[in-house]
Amino acid sequence: MTKILSEHAEYPDQQELTAAKRRGAYEAWHQVLAQRPADVIGEVADSGLRGRGGAGFPTGRKWRFLQFDAERPPYLLCNADESEPGTFKDHWLLEHDPHRVIEGILIAAYAIQAREAFLYIRGEYASLLPGIGRALEEARAEGLVGPNVLSSDYSLDIIVVVGAGAYICGEETGLMESLEGKRAYPRVRPPFPAVRGFNGRPTVVNNVETLANLPWIIHHGAEAFRAVGTSDSPGTKLVSLSGCISRPGVYEIPMGYPLKQLLEQEGGGPLPDRYFKAVIPGGTSVPVLTAEEIEGVTIDFESMRQAGTLLGSGGMIVFDDSVSMPPMLRAISHFYATESCGECTPCREGTGWMAAIVDRLLDGRPQVDDLDRLLRIGNNIEGRTICGLGDAAVQPVRSFVSKFRQEFEALLHDSSTSNAPDWQTHGHGPRTARHGLVAEEIVRSEPVTGRPTYRW
Amino acid sequence: MPIVTIDGHPISVEPDTLIIQAADRAGIEIPRFCYHPDLRPEGNCRMCLVHIKGFANLSPACTTPVTDDMVVNTAHQHDQVRQATKGVLEFLLINHPLDCPVCDQAGECSLQDFYLHPDYGLHPSDVDPPEKVRKRKALNLGPIYLDSERCVMCSRCVRFSNEVSGTGELQFVHRGNHVEIEAFEDRALRDPYAGNLADVCPVGALTSRDFRFKRRVWFLRHANSICAGCSTGCNVRIDYAENAIDRVVPRRNPAVNKSWMCDEGRLSYHNLQDLPRLESPLQRTEAGLQPVSWEEAMLLGQEGMRGPYGRVSAVVASAMATNETLWILRQCANSLPTPTEIDFRLQSINPDINAREDHLLRRLDKAPNSRGAMLLGAGAGRGIEAMAQSAEEGKVGVVVILHYPPLVGQDDNARLAAFQRLIRGAAFSVVLTNTVSGWWNGADVVLPVASWSEEEGTFTNFAGITQLTEAALTPPGEARPAWKALRDLLPVGSLSPRLATVEQIFDRGVAVISAFEGLHYATLASREATVYPPEGRKSYGQEGFAGR
Repeated sequence: MTKILSEHAEYPDQQELTAAKRRGAYEAWHQVLAQRPADVIGEVADSGLRGRGGAGFPTGRKWRFLQFDAERPPYLLCNADESEPGTFKDHWLLEHDPHRVIEGILIAAYAIQAREAFLYIRGEYASLLPGIGRALEEARAEGLVGPNVLSSDYSLDIIVVVGAGAYICGEETGLMESLEGKRAYPRVRPPFPAVRGFNGRPTVVNNVETLANLPWIIHHGAEAFRAVGTSDSPGTKLVSLSGCISRPGVYEIPMGYPLKQLLEQEGGGPLPDRYFKAVIPGGTSVPVLTAEEIEGVTIDFESMRQAGTLLGSGGMIVFDDSVSMPPMLRAISHFYATESCGECTPCREGTGWMAAIVDRLLDGRPQVDDLDRLLRIGNNIEGRTICGLGDAAVQPVRSFVSKFRQEFEALLHDSSTSNAPDWQTHGHGPRTARHGLVAEEIVRSEPVTGRPTYRW
Repeated sequence: MPIVTIDGHPISVEPDTLIIQAADRAGIEIPRFCYHPDLRPEGNCRMCLVHIKGFANLSPACTTPVTDDMVVNTAHQHDQVRQATKGVLEFLLINHPLDCPVCDQAGECSLQDFYLHPDYGLHPSDVDPPEKVRKRKALNLGPIYLDSERCVMCSRCVRFSNEVSGTGELQFVHRGNHVEIEAFEDRALRDPYAGNLADVCPVGALTSRDFRFKRRVWFLRHANSICAGCSTGCNVRIDYAENAIDRVVPRRNPAVNKSWMCDEGRLSYHNLQDLPRLESPLQRTEAGLQPVSWEEAMLLGQEGMRGPYGRVSAVVASAMATNETLWILRQCANSLPTPTEIDFRLQSINPDINAREDHLLRRLDKAPNSRGAMLLGAGAGRGIEAMAQSAEEGKVGVVVILHYPPLVGQDDNARLAAFQRLIRGAAFSVVLTNTVSGWWNGADVVLPVASWSEEEGTFTNFAGITQLTEAALTPPGEARPAWKALRDLLPVGSLSPRLATVEQIFDRGVAVISAFEGLHYATLASREATVYPPEGRKSYGQEGFAGR
C-alpha cells in the first residue's frame, strides 16, 4: 500500500532536520519556490486533494476562493486543534514527522502568497510543543522558514499558537476569534474566511493532515496522487482506531479501503471472545454504524455518505458486545453540552437539555416519552445553528437512539439502573452486569502505532 | 434597487438591506432578540430564521442581505420556519425562571410577547422546574441590576458596551447553557450611558435601578418628548402616571440619538421633581411678595409694562424655553413702548453649542434650545451682564425675566446675581419662572410657569433639527405655560389673530422666520424618522415605542 503521510514516520530520528532531509524532506519546497504560485494551486487542484479535517472540501478550490489583494496579504492557518473525540491522527503526525507538516504549511502559504502562517495547536497537546519548536528552529536556521526563504524574495514566518482547550476553537471562524485573542464564538457566514477572515483579511484554514499531503503531491505530481485512492477521494487517509479493538492506533490506508478489512486486519479484530457491535467512523460527530451496516462500506467520502454517515476526521471508535450504548451516549452528549460555546440558542440550550435527559434515563428517573423528546430536540437543533457543533451533537443522539432503541427503551421500564456508573467521576466506575463498561474503560488497550493519549 | 418578496409582498429596498430591515419596512413581523437596528448584527438568537427559496437551511433574517428576486417566507407563511421559531423559543424558555409576576420587564418583554403569540409560542412546558440551570439573581451593577437566569444571551448589552459607549464592561463567561453575562469582578458599571443597557435588553435580565419595582409598565402613560438636559436633543419618551414621571427612555431617531441617551439626561427628571415649584402668581406688597390671582397679576403686569418710562427695556430669555415661548417673548419685547434689548446669554459670546462632552451624545451646552433662541433673535443683545450694568446705572425701565433652572447641573450663580441687579435697577420688573427662589425678591410680579414635560412645544438642537416635545404632566398649582402667560401680557390686539395653541404659534409665527421655513407643526408631530418601528406595528422590547 502506498504510504504518503507515514512513509518516514516510523524512523525514530525523523523529527530531526538532517535525518528528515536525508529522506527527502523540503525537496518539494525547493521545487515550489521555482514555480509560480498559480501553478502550485493548479497542481494541488489537479490532485483532487480534499480537506482532511472532516468536511472533505477540495483544497485547491478553497484556495481559489481567496480574494487576492496585494495590500492585504492573506493568512494561512493550520488547524491543529484536533478536538474531535476519537481522533488523534494530527497529534501522531506532529509528533512523528513535524517537518512534513511544516513543509506543507510552507507550500500552501507560498501558493496563496501568505506572509504569515499560524499553527494553532490545542492546549491539550502541550507535550508536542518542544518537538515542534525544535523542528521549526532547525528549519529557520537552515533558511527554510523566515525572511527571504532559501535566498528567494519570498518571506514567510510560521507562528505557533496554543489554544486554551476548547472544542469550538477547531471550528475555523472560532479558531480565528481565538487567534485574535477573543472568546471563540464562531462567526456568521457570509462573509466567508476567504473574503474576511483572521484580522479581517482573506484567510485559508487547512487541517494538519491536509497540509501534510502537499510535499508528496508536489514531489510526485498530481497524477501519482490521483492513482491512489478513489476517483472522488484521491490519496490516503489517516485513521485513528480506538475502543474495543485488538490493535488501536493510527493507520494510513488508501481511500476506498474496506472498513471491515481495516478493523479485522490492521485493527486485529475484536478483543478475545468478543464481537463488534458498532463503529463510529469519523469522530463522535457522525452517525454510528452497526456491525451489520459496516459490511461493504469503504473508507472514503462517498461510501460513508451512502451508508448514512460521514468519513469526518477518520477518528474511529469501536464498540463490542460488552458495551452498553446508553452510557456511551451519556459521555458523548455531555461532551457536546460542555463544549457548546453558548453563542446561539439551539445549541446552547439544546445540547444541555439532551445531556440532562440522557442522564435521567440512566439515573433511573426517565419519563415515558424521553426518547421521542430526544429526537424532537435534535430536530430543533439541526440546521439552525451558527456553526456545525449543533449538528454534530445531534448525530450521535439520533443514531444511537434510533439504531439501539431497544437498549434505551429498556431504561424506560427499568429503574434498577439508578446506580449506573457516573462517568464524570473519572474514577474506574463499577462494572454493572447489565450495562457493561463505562466509557472511560473502553480506551484502555495499548496502541501499536503511536501512543494515543486520548481519553474520554 | 433589489426587489425582495417577503410572504408574497414585493418590497423594493436599497442593496445590502438586511431581510429583517426590509420586513420591518413592509410591516411584516419577524420575531427577534439579538437584532437591534443600531448594533452590529450578530445572528445568535436564531429567532428570526426565515426560509429563502433555493436555500437548504433556514437563514437568519438579521444577517442575510437581500438580493434581487429573493423569495423569503416567514413563520407566518412557512411551516418549517414556524417550527424552527417555536423550537428556538422553547429552548430559550427551558431554563428561564418562572418569575414574570415579580419581573420588572413583564408587560414589555419580548420573551413574554412571543410566547403569547400563536405562531411562536403557547407550547406546553416540557421541563421540570428542578432541572433548570440556576444562575445569579439581582446582582447590583450600580445603575443596572443583572438577573442572569432571565438572560437570553442575545449579546445586545455586550455589543452596546463595546460598540457604542466603548467601555466594554460586559462579557460572556462560561460555556454551554452555563453562559452568563458578567462585569469584571461584579464591579459597578462606570458607563455614563449604562441606562441604555436596560433598554436594549429584550428581557428582564438587565433592569434599571432607578425604575426597578417602581410601577407596572401597563399603568404607565407615554408622551413623546425631547430631553432638555443638553443641546443634543435626544428623542425620549416620558413614562408617567398619577402626574409624576416614573422614567424617561430614549426613542429611536437615527438622525439625532439613534436609540440612546445618557444617564444624566435619563435621570434629569429627578432634578425637576426636586425643585421647589412656584405654584401661584406673586405680587409685591409692603410685606414682600404675596400670592395673587392670575387676573390681578396680569392686570398689574400689563399696566406696569405699558410704562411710560422714557428709558430702555431689558428682556431676559432662556434657552430652556421652547421656540414658541421665545417667539412670543420676542413679540413681547417688540410691544414694549421703549427700545428693548433681548438676550439669553450672560455675555455677548455665542454659546458653543457644538462643543462635545464625550464621543457619543453629551454636549457641554446644557440647554436644549440655544440654537432656537439664536435663530429667533433672542440673543440679539449685549448679554445679561451688560443689561444689568445698564440697570445699575438707572437706564432700564421695564425688565422681563424668563428663567428655568437647568435640568442637568446647577443654576449659574453669576446669572442669578445679574438677575438681581436687573431687578434692583429696574422701574418695573416681571419674572416668569418655575421655581421658588431667592433671587427674584424685589420683583413687581412673579408668574409661575410650566416646566419641561408640562408643556408642548419645539426645541431646535445644536445641529438645527427642530423637534417636537409633548406635554406629559399637568403643571403644579396655578402654573401655566410661559407662552400663555406672555401672550396674555401683550397689549390686547397686538397679536392678530389671537394665537390659542402652540401649533398656531409655530405655524404662523416661528415658521415665518427663514430658518424655520417649510416646517409645519403637524409634520413635526409625525416625522417618520423619529418613530421606530414604523407606526401601527407592534413594538419589540424597548427600542420601539409605537403602539404602546
